[in-house]
Amino acid sequence: MINFQYARAVSVSEAVRLMAGTPGAKFIAGGTNLVDLMKMDVERPTALIDVSRLPLDTVEETPGGGLHIGALVRNSDLAYHPLVERRYPVLSSALLAGASQQLRNMASIGGNLLQRTRCAYFYDVATPCNKREAGSGCSALGGLNRMNAILGTSDNCIAVHPSDMCVALAALEAKVHVTGTRGERVIAFADFHRLPEAEPQRDNNLAADELVTGIELPQRGFETHYSYLKIRDRSSYAFALVSVAVCLELGGGRIREARLALGGVAHKPWRDAGAEAALSGQSANEATFMRAAALVLSKAKGFGHNTFKIDLARRAVVRALSQAAGGTPQSQSNKKIA
Amino acid sequence: MSAIGQPISRTDGSLKVTGRARYTGDIRVSGAVHAALVQSTIASGRIASIDTSAAEEAGVLGVFSYRNLPRMNPTPKPWSHLHPHGQGYLPLQDDKIHYAGQPIAMVVASKLDQAVQAATLIKVHYEVAQPVVFDADTTRAAIDPPQFLWPVASSVGDADKGIAAAAVKIAETYATPDRHHNQMEPHATTAMWDADGSLTLYDTTQHLYGARELIAMVLGIPVDKITIMCEFLGGGFGGKAYVWPHTLLAILAAKAVRRPVRLQLTRAQMYSMVGHQAATIQTIALGADNGGKLTGIRHESISPAPVFDNYIEYAALSSRSLWAASGGIATNHKIVHVNRNTPTAMRSPHEALGHFALESAMDELAYATGIDPIELRLVNDTATDPHSGRPFSTRAMRKCLIEGAARFGWESRSPTPRSMREGRHLISEGTAAEIYTHWRWPAKARVTINGDGSALVETGSHDLGTGTYTVMRQVAADTLGVAPEKVTVRLGDTRLPPSHASIGSATMANAGASVLLAAESARDKAIRLALTGRDAPFTRGQGADIRVAEGTLTLAHSNVSISYGDLLARNGLPNLVAEADYDPVPEHEGPKAIFSFSAVFAEVRVDPELGIVRLNRFVGAYDAGRIINPKTARSQAIGGIIWGVGQVLLEQSETDPTLGRFLNRNYSGYLVPTNADIPELDILFVGDFDEEASPLGAKGLGELTAVSVAPAIANAVFHATGKRIRRLPISLEKLM
Repeated sequence: MINFQYARAVSVSEAVRLMAGTPGAKFIAGGTNLVDLMKMDVERPTALIDVSRLPLDTVEETPGGGLHIGALVRNSDLAYHPLVERRYPVLSSALLAGASQQLRNMASIGGNLLQRTRCAYFYDVATPCNKREAGSGCSALGGLNRMNAILGTSDNCIAVHPSDMCVALAALEAKVHVTGTRGERVIAFADFHRLPEAEPQRDNNLAADELVTGIELPQRGFETHYSYLKIRDRSSYAFALVSVAVCLELGGGRIREARLALGGVAHKPWRDAGAEAALSGQSANEATFMRAAALVLSKAKGFGHNTFKIDLARRAVVRALSQAAGGTPQSQSNKKIA
Repeated sequence: MSAIGQPISRTDGSLKVTGRARYTGDIRVSGAVHAALVQSTIASGRIASIDTSAAEEAGVLGVFSYRNLPRMNPTPKPWSHLHPHGQGYLPLQDDKIHYAGQPIAMVVASKLDQAVQAATLIKVHYEVAQPVVFDADTTRAAIDPPQFLWPVASSVGDADKGIAAAAVKIAETYATPDRHHNQMEPHATTAMWDADGSLTLYDTTQHLYGARELIAMVLGIPVDKITIMCEFLGGGFGGKAYVWPHTLLAILAAKAVRRPVRLQLTRAQMYSMVGHQAATIQTIALGADNGGKLTGIRHESISPAPVFDNYIEYAALSSRSLWAASGGIATNHKIVHVNRNTPTAMRSPHEALGHFALESAMDELAYATGIDPIELRLVNDTATDPHSGRPFSTRAMRKCLIEGAARFGWESRSPTPRSMREGRHLISEGTAAEIYTHWRWPAKARVTINGDGSALVETGSHDLGTGTYTVMRQVAADTLGVAPEKVTVRLGDTRLPPSHASIGSATMANAGASVLLAAESARDKAIRLALTGRDAPFTRGQGADIRVAEGTLTLAHSNVSISYGDLLARNGLPNLVAEADYDPVPEHEGPKAIFSFSAVFAEVRVDPELGIVRLNRFVGAYDAGRIINPKTARSQAIGGIIWGVGQVLLEQSETDPTLGRFLNRNYSGYLVPTNADIPELDILFVGDFDEEASPLGAKGLGELTAVSVAPAIANAVFHATGKRIRRLPISLEKLM
């Protein structure tokens, strides 16, 4: 870790102004990822701008019937928020599938969005990594890539986004509210995170001076037919090999609308419009689920150690769809996967 | 009431859960400064240049590299428990790079953050060579190593002939991965020099006296000038039994900067600054008759060692003594020199690797012969150690198998793979047996009876988190005839009577024996005083007629009694002190073969589509001789079983094949079981008093419990799926 300056912002505008005027600075809230990265010399910020005391810690209903979640709401507070538990249970479930109780108590919602990949090469400064040091190469491509991506990869990077919460937010079609020196804007969730392409060092489309201030959930929460299924090496406290968020609206034995998002497989939470369309209007049965799953993985590419994830993701999609259609969502307290 | 055998809670439990127990890294020494390390980013080559100027200008107290660190004496050869060097290649002595993460520079500064920051300013240029890693190619270059702990090879009878003539044969290859200890407590050292040239160390060690001997030799310091203290250890598992480079560096840094120096490893540094468990590739051949009776066992193992040391994982050791084989038993070990730091003992070294192969192969034999796995093991049970020809001192293997199977409900198992289901899941049951080495080592202790009726036990043993303070208190309390609360135990200081390394599950049997003997001696002194001292209360009788209970000596068949306190006061003594020197013959020189035994039983649940294996329930039946404290013993067993669950399902230290570095150097990348992975664990102790093992009757337990969890679960996985996984860990892609 290297030395850094520290400043605490008292308002969003001050935070943004400080950031714009301090090259190499980083915002810090819960610090559950950034501090680790600093200890490992992966992140070497010149300054930390502490936004943890900004008044962005409330959950409020919006006039449109949705929910606005302040960026500083703690992960655990959001997971157990009565409105989230009742109306957006897939989000609550995804939050509880992530990290540990202690980390969820510290981690902010805004910070969860901005988590960096856990690719082992990204974390090891002695190895080449295009995400950490643009142009240095990707060690994971020919290296130990069991945890790496199978969808949307590029020749430059096969890292995955590690968040569970973001997979649910992608399925719910949340919006991200941000503020920069040029004012406020709202980013559709699908446009927030990026694929690696030629610039894997960029995880998302935030401008350098922009601060995430909140997340907006639309009115629809899919509170009856949903599931968040996370497949991992141990029962708790591990990153996903594959995770699946499913939201369904059923009627008359058919699927009226389907939302399907995958985690652990790509540089961003992975949605597939074609697969969702293939579910729409169909009977909610195993054959339908298998067709959709095959579509999601049709363009998947393995890199050796992680090639099994293509099959695993296919099977996890089918299982999560069955759980959601059957009204038996994956429990995050009883870890047994039925 | 006897204290031995009671499930007494740990005497230090409250200190630990309230944060008052002082672990090495917690100890603040006045005036101490901090050291930070720079490690090699390459795995093979040499340092072409090292520029420390920016670090030196950063206001630090000292910057060290091979250019200015004083030279050390070579480590003693051969390796021994008396001189326990972690590795033979010493830090910052030359420009060579033999492994990734090798320490190449050290910065000392007043504050830790200063030292850490300055360390980032050191610029190193390397001449890079391609590292050699342990893989299928390099194992072809395996060599016969020199002997280290046990003979490298063994042969009794003619194993190959026995196998060749067998009706049923099994020949398979099994592999276990590199693993790291990952103790919760990181290794730490604070070194302080006095003006008179004496050295005091707070060090995370399982081996106070061995560390002192080794440091004395390598750094040329008289042994009697060195004091080492370690009151509590936050997990050792063998990884703190030997002296590793950081301890030597802290000592030399403290001398150079003339200040106490504290050096604590980071989690990532614990993957290359200290040892690990080396991978093995093991081949096993079994021959048996149609009744399952073994006619021959051949077990060979190859493991990696660094280019500068010959460390051996004795994985085939287990096959020498676990089962009888009428034709013969042959074992052998080879090593491959690769670019890595030196491996070391890790719970349960040798045995837990070898049993995965041997007890998996036994399960394969059970299926090949159609004989129930429990029956197969009963058929091959033996009262004589096949390796040495000596009778076993005690061997409750039969009891382990039968009582364990009864508790588990083995008889209701359907033997056919994939035959037991519950919803989407396959349910299955597997078993494995275990044998574990017993050590007899010398140990000294001192017991003091005080005028207030309290007692003090002093011995240079260690608390690894296993309850040493508690069990030593029980032993002394029973022997002295006082309540356990009256006994204080001091451990972890080289100024105490010397004891052995707390490794090999040897502490209860050996250090415990020294406490027993010292307490007996102190009690006997008191008895003599009561018979022959000033105003002796007992005017007739002999020592054997005197009973001691609740701190009071009573003459048999009389109403005459006297408390320890009154007895000392009457004789004008402040206390009574007795020392004991427990000096047993080494196990291999004794008339009996001494081992611990067990049989374990696992029920697992497999999701055949997703490949997920979860443990449903587990029964372990253990013969560890007499159990001193069923509660701490049960905790040991729980820890051992969980350790084994990690071995079989999760743990592996991954080496990048090109860069030759361990990659997953943190708890997030190196997975161990969580609470959610562990069901109720059912523990049975079926052993009896073993007088050969120890005057206390106890045999080793801690490591025994981690030995055969892996094959039991792997065998259950076969029962569930029909897939035999011979390469650990059993990750889900192997079952999809």
